[in-house]
This record gives sequence, structure tokens and C-alpha cells, in this order.
Amino acid sequence: MNQKLVNILLVEDDEVDVMNVKRAFSKNNIMNPLFVAGNGVEALEMLENHIIPLPKIIILDINMPKMNGIEFLKIMRENEKLKNISVFVMTTSNEDSDKINAYNLNVAGYILKPLSFEKFLTSVATLKNFWQLCEL
Amino acid sequence: MKEAEDKCQQELVALKKEFEEFVYIVSHDIKSPMRAISNITTWIEEDLGAVENQEVLANLSLLKNRVNRMENMMNGLLELSRVDRVELEFYEVNISKMMANSIALLEPNSNVEFTLNTTLINENCLTLGAKLQKVILSVLDNAVRFHDKENRKVGVEVVETESDYEIKVSDNGPGIPEQVASKIFSIFYTVNSKDVVDTTGAGLAISCKIMKLVGGKIKYSAGINNGSIFTLIWPKIIILKN
Repeated sequence: MNQKLVNILLVEDDEVDVMNVKRAFSKNNIMNPLFVAGNGVEALEMLENHIIPLPKIIILDINMPKMNGIEFLKIMRENEKLKNISVFVMTTSNEDSDKINAYNLNVAGYILKPLSFEKFLTSVATLKNFWQLCEL
Repeated sequence: MKEAEDKCQQELVALKKEFEEFVYIVSHDIKSPMRAISNITTWIEEDLGAVENQEVLANLSLLKNRVNRMENMMNGLLELSRVDRVELEFYEVNISKMMANSIALLEPNSNVEFTLNTTLINENCLTLGAKLQKVILSVLDNAVRFHDKENRKVGVEVVETESDYEIKVSDNGPGIPEQVASKIFSIFYTVNSKDVVDTTGAGLAISCKIMKLVGGKIKYSAGINNGSIFTLIWPKIIILKN
């Protein structure tokens, strides 16, 4: 089957977390093109100015400088062109308020960044199954 | 007078806000570098491939263990700080069932023989169920975790009085040396080095804070033939401030 791999945008300010996602992708044989933005402002700029091809999936950190994940989600959901992108929140925040805010803005999933890389691998493997559905 | 009161109130609000910010910082900003240390350790391990130097392997394993411990301590600290802010729902609890279920949770693989005795007038009680469960599990877990004997026994006894439930958890384990018994409710205090029994040392501190919140009591006493006895006085009627 000739599948077209969907583009994924990672919005994350922490260098090690970006490496973490890249490493987990390669371990899980995820070949999807991965684009990285360092915060919400940068991500919006990339999306609105077509600097990158429109992603079907966004992996979003909450705690970021300039524009945090929740603020970014709010703006995104009000934008006709961007509002249908599936967003997975990936964060250390276990605060109920952050979870409620995220779900109110219609997110596809909420991943708590685990301490161990092995656990993160399992989460990413689960995501892979979902992404493959998006590619059909 | 009114002015002084208002000022006090304002200071309290400011302090609360500062405290909440502190908790948020601990849970997010400090956890990030910690996670980075843990992840990078794993990557170094992977990238090194087959390592023959046993010392390198042992050090990598120690490094991971300690980061893990740090995370557990951080989580313990967070839980302690949130005791009076989360899980404050009152619901009906069947006391006998809660005890039996807690035992059932710990019994498998514990090598411990449990006994449960209850003397109750009314099995059901409208209470802060999640908090009671937390304290019971914590005390039971300690009785199992620190046990050092071949023939391991843990007894649970519940007696209902007019105003409280008295829950007594006794074991035939090593007990707690008299000179340190006063310290066991401090956060992160462990009787032995954390290398002997890998534990965070947060459970009893959290339990103690819960007991204060509900207006109850938790106390330790030495058992006959060594061993420990933890007694919980859980009030039937709980009035939360604010």
C-alpha cells in the first residue's frame, strides 16, 4: 500500500525533549516528516505563513516561553485553516486545571511526559497507531 | 482593628498564591531537567552498546536509580502540599470492605499473613473516602515493606466508638528504635538508609497531614516482642475549615 505519511509539528522549547521525541520516533520506525517550533509564536508563524506544509498532527508542550501551549491552542481553534488539526498535548503538568483547559480546546490526547525514556516509547507506539488511521 | 484584619487577610491570600506558584514550579520547571538527566542516561547507555566495564554499568544503573528516587521525592512533596486541596469529596464507605480490599491489594506476593478483626455498629460511614484509603494503604504498605522476618504477620483491628473509628495496624516486624520514633512522621525520614529499603519516606508525613486535616490522630507505639503498632483515630464527623 502506498501510504502518504502525514506531517507532524512538534511545539516544544526544551532541546532534550525534542531529542526525546526524535529518538522515540526512530525507535518506533516512525518516518513521518517532523517539524519543530520552539514556542507558540514560532509555531503560529510557521503555520500561518506556510513556512512548513500544513501538518495533520501537532504535539504540543504546555509550559513554554512567549506563548504557552494553551494560548496557542486557543488561537489555533479560532483559525479556520488550522482548527481541524489533531493536537496531542505532551507535558509534565499533572495539574487538573491544565488538563481541563486542554480538553476544553478539543485535544485528541494528553500525554504526561514520563521520567523514563522506555515509558515514553510505549506512549509514542500507541500514537503511531492513531496516526496511521489519519493516513488512510 | 478592621484594618489589621484586612491586612492579615491580604497577606494570607498573597502567601497562598506564592505557595501555589511554588508547587507549580516544583512540578514543572524542576521536573524537566530531571527528566533530561534520566533520558540522556538511557541514551548514553544505548549508544555505548555492549559495555564490558562493570563499573561503568554499575554507575549508570546508580545514576538512573537516584534520578528515579528524586522523582519519587518530588512527587511525595507535591502530594504532601496538596493534601488539603484535592480529593475532598465525602462519600459513603463500607469500613470493613475498605480494609479487606486494602489488604487484598497488598497481600499477593507480600509473603505476609494478614488478619482482620472489626467491631462495628454501623459498617457504613459518610467520610472523606479517598483520604481514609490513602492513610490505610500507607500504614499497611509500611508494615509489609519493612518486614524482615520469616514468619510475617500483620493484624488489622477496627473498633467503632461513639465518635471515632479506631484502626490498629500491628506487625511482628523489626519495629522502630525508640530514639527515632519521634522522627518517623517527618517528610523523607527513613529509619534505614534508602539504599537498604528503596522508599521515599513520604507516606507517613502525608498520612499525618491527612489525620490533622480530618481532626484525627495517628500514633506509633512499640508492639510486644518488637514489631510496630500504628493507631489511627478517624473521626466519624469531619468538619473541614473553609
